[in-house]
Amino acid sequence: MSASTMAGSPNRAETRAIKRSPYPGWFFTPAAIIYSVLFLVPTFASLYFSLTRWTLFDSEFIGLENFAQFLREPFLIKGLINTVIYAAVTSGLKVVVGLLLAVMLTSQIVGRGYLRSVIFFPVLVSTVGVGITFTVLMHPTQGMINETLALFGIAGPGWLTDPNLALYSVALVDVWKGVGLATVIYIAGLVAIPQDYYEAARIDGATPWQNFWYVTLPLCRPATSTVITLSFIGGLRTFDLIWAMTKGGPGFASDTIASVIYKQYQAGFYGLSTAGNVVLFILIALLVVPLTMFLNRKQGHE
Amino acid sequence: MKKRTSILGGAAAIAATFVVFVIPFIFIILMAFKDRQQSALRDFSLPTGFHFWENVVEVVKTRNWMMITAFINSSIITVVSVTLLVIFAAMVGYVLARRKTRWNGLIEFLVLAGLMVPPAVVPTIWLLQGLQLFGTLHGMILIEVAYNLPFSIILYRAFVATIPRDLDEAAIIDGARPLDVFFRIVLPLLWPVTVTNIVVQSVGIFNDFTNPLYYLPGNANATVQLTLYNFQSQFSTAYNLLFTNILLITIPPLLVFMFFNRQIVAGMTAGAVKG
Amino acid sequence: MAGLELRQLRKSYGKVEVIKGVDLTIEHGEFVVFVGPSGCGKSTLLRMIAGLEDITGGELVIGDKVVNAVEPRDRGIAMVFQSYALYPHMTVYDNVGFGLKLARTPKEVRDQKIREAARILQMEHLLDRKPSQLSGGQRQRVAIGRAIVRQPEVFLFDEPLSNLDAALRVDMRMEISKLHSELDATMIYVTHDQVEAMTLADKIVVLDGGVVQQVGSPIELYKHPANLFVAGFIGSPKMNFVEVNADKIVGETVHVSGPDVVGVPVALPAGKVHPGDKLTLGVRPHDLVVAPSGAIVGRVGLVERLGNETIVNLELPSGASWLAVLDGDQALKRGESLALDVDPAKALLFDANGLAVAAG
Repeated sequence: MSASTMAGSPNRAETRAIKRSPYPGWFFTPAAIIYSVLFLVPTFASLYFSLTRWTLFDSEFIGLENFAQFLREPFLIKGLINTVIYAAVTSGLKVVVGLLLAVMLTSQIVGRGYLRSVIFFPVLVSTVGVGITFTVLMHPTQGMINETLALFGIAGPGWLTDPNLALYSVALVDVWKGVGLATVIYIAGLVAIPQDYYEAARIDGATPWQNFWYVTLPLCRPATSTVITLSFIGGLRTFDLIWAMTKGGPGFASDTIASVIYKQYQAGFYGLSTAGNVVLFILIALLVVPLTMFLNRKQGHE
Repeated sequence: MKKRTSILGGAAAIAATFVVFVIPFIFIILMAFKDRQQSALRDFSLPTGFHFWENVVEVVKTRNWMMITAFINSSIITVVSVTLLVIFAAMVGYVLARRKTRWNGLIEFLVLAGLMVPPAVVPTIWLLQGLQLFGTLHGMILIEVAYNLPFSIILYRAFVATIPRDLDEAAIIDGARPLDVFFRIVLPLLWPVTVTNIVVQSVGIFNDFTNPLYYLPGNANATVQLTLYNFQSQFSTAYNLLFTNILLITIPPLLVFMFFNRQIVAGMTAGAVKG
Repeated sequence: MAGLELRQLRKSYGKVEVIKGVDLTIEHGEFVVFVGPSGCGKSTLLRMIAGLEDITGGELVIGDKVVNAVEPRDRGIAMVFQSYALYPHMTVYDNVGFGLKLARTPKEVRDQKIREAARILQMEHLLDRKPSQLSGGQRQRVAIGRAIVRQPEVFLFDEPLSNLDAALRVDMRMEISKLHSELDATMIYVTHDQVEAMTLADKIVVLDGGVVQQVGSPIELYKHPANLFVAGFIGSPKMNFVEVNADKIVGETVHVSGPDVVGVPVALPAGKVHPGDKLTLGVRPHDLVVAPSGAIVGRVGLVERLGNETIVNLELPSGASWLAVLDGDQALKRGESLALDVDPAKALLFDANGLAVAAG
């Protein structure tokens, strides 16, 4: 407030050496305070507390012991591997399915409005609600999915009860819920491709497949890199869907780092939980930074 | 010829998406109409009787009207944090786009970091406790603001860059002070991206499960997503109520979707592709 | 009453200096045009006067106050932007009245002033429209109207006509000129178009490389350019130049010769140049006349016959090309040899540093 009311009369202003910028730096202040206090400070604090045995009231410095434990305990390592698998599977499927749906929705297909709405709506629905619904649908004996498969004589798997399958089942639901966003991003990318390229390709006698492979795919790379980056980061951080569907089970079969962090927190191992946070942070940095650099190579990002 | 394939393809696509995307929602609705006994079968059958209203009443009354509390809490958190987000992020995006200083690089780095770095949960709880904000709506609101600022800032910064600087300068010559320029000229012109921000962030915050789980424990402070979770453990077999609950908390996003479909899609893609 | 004074005004961005010490006095009521090629610093200078750019060094005086640190709103100025910069979300009425609203002018006074400005600019019927519903010329009027209601001491125009088509530009030029005589205000006008500068200005300031090249009335600049840059920039078509040496000096006439011309007489007071001096001869295309015994001989290139005049491209022996605008219709053939002459009083000489060797 003061910056605007202090501008004052010409006479006073005359004595001031430098005029005020019309774009005052204090506009940053409210956001900066909230962001620093509630995000930056805890993030930096986590670097210290991850090296301690911690009860919230006092902490004992134990060096890298928490991290060592992470690498020693098989279920914690399992969580680490699961996290990467989950992120890779969900982002890969979202790219492929999202692109196909987008190509379909930008063609002269009937019912585009309906299709677009139906595919996008799950993005807006509560993740936990979706998780609970699919948990019911995926029940090995009473779930609708397996009951339907049984009609065709197929014995459906234990989607969420088979330790080898649970993680992938959750990932599939994640794709179901999130593919609408990927589709919409791809639609924007496809619409931005000038028609000239397709016309030129047609004059050159390209088949639809060649069109897709040599025109569409390279020219929608910005959309691809956005979809991959967004869903990969989202996949690495995912918690709510896994918690709603399997709670990391059966056993530790579908644990991810985020669910491990919550479990350790619930169990009161605050230092270990925080170390999990740091591990997740390092994992994201190690995977996402090279990934985005690879995706954006030789490409004026505008 | 071409037309026929597009109709056939369309029909196939409509059928496939109906099975994959619509049937789960129909399933939710059917379950919400059933009585407890029938819902326990968890099959895709028509309800034997109309039990929707009794289900709704029971869900709402459960645990001392917890649903009402939760809806009030979620609404307060959503409205207040989105309001703060819009104003604070627009201010940052505006100055960030307009003024080139040596701080810009650092600020942009922090914004990107905010999108990538997972929040450090336990240290945040420790900090909130120190600030007497743990388990309070105030604390929850500030957390939502802090975590969602980066995305809003990116949306705003990209949009401010499309507003000609001449307009600011014309206003300055006309006698506008910095706050006048921002609130009377720039903020009104940012309206399209503000709508996007409001819609996207309010859906996200309303649906947030993880953060209230950590930072807002206790039944008095329950948010709608947590009612769902508490509910499930209490009525592990009362599927009719569980799905009624799911249906109820899906109504706000559904309304948003019906009114702002276009803006959501436009905004999400603009932010994602340009950001 | 507000004149302006610029004292050693400087502007740099980091280490790059874009305005290198400008001294200038502008009287109250003058119409001053800053002209120069793009990147010469004319817009920056205008924006420094407006207060949109900080002043790095020197003093800016408006009226009798140093205003270096005064906010734009308190400088008594109004500005018309190249892009018009109309607020898209406001009607024309609100656009024009925005400044008054900020100054908390009472509603009735505001309304009266807005309508008065609209009357002067003949845009009463546009007041309820949004800028997007206006044509380019109408937007320009609104932008000027917004400046008028502020009743500034000094009007600043930043290339206001460059977004208009040619015909409209001529109309608006006359309109601005009329406005100047009606409002009795000081106007500073930036353009890269030297025709606009010549037609509008009481005083032209020619800028290049952040330095004032010359200040003077349009005719002064045309007849007595201070240096090669001004000579080349003012006047259309461009002045012809050729390298010469001073031959002999007879009374008040210097004869100059070079690879392309032999013994061209130039009127000049004695003692200004000496035989053997390296000089540049400048002759305006309009000052060349056909003379069989002329000192400038070349081969006819492209000929444009416009009826009332004939524009000839003349190739000189060294390959340099001159333009001559000859009176009437001249049936010249490509390739034939043509001799031209120039009135000694109209030929100009520049010394080795590019400065004019003054005739008077």
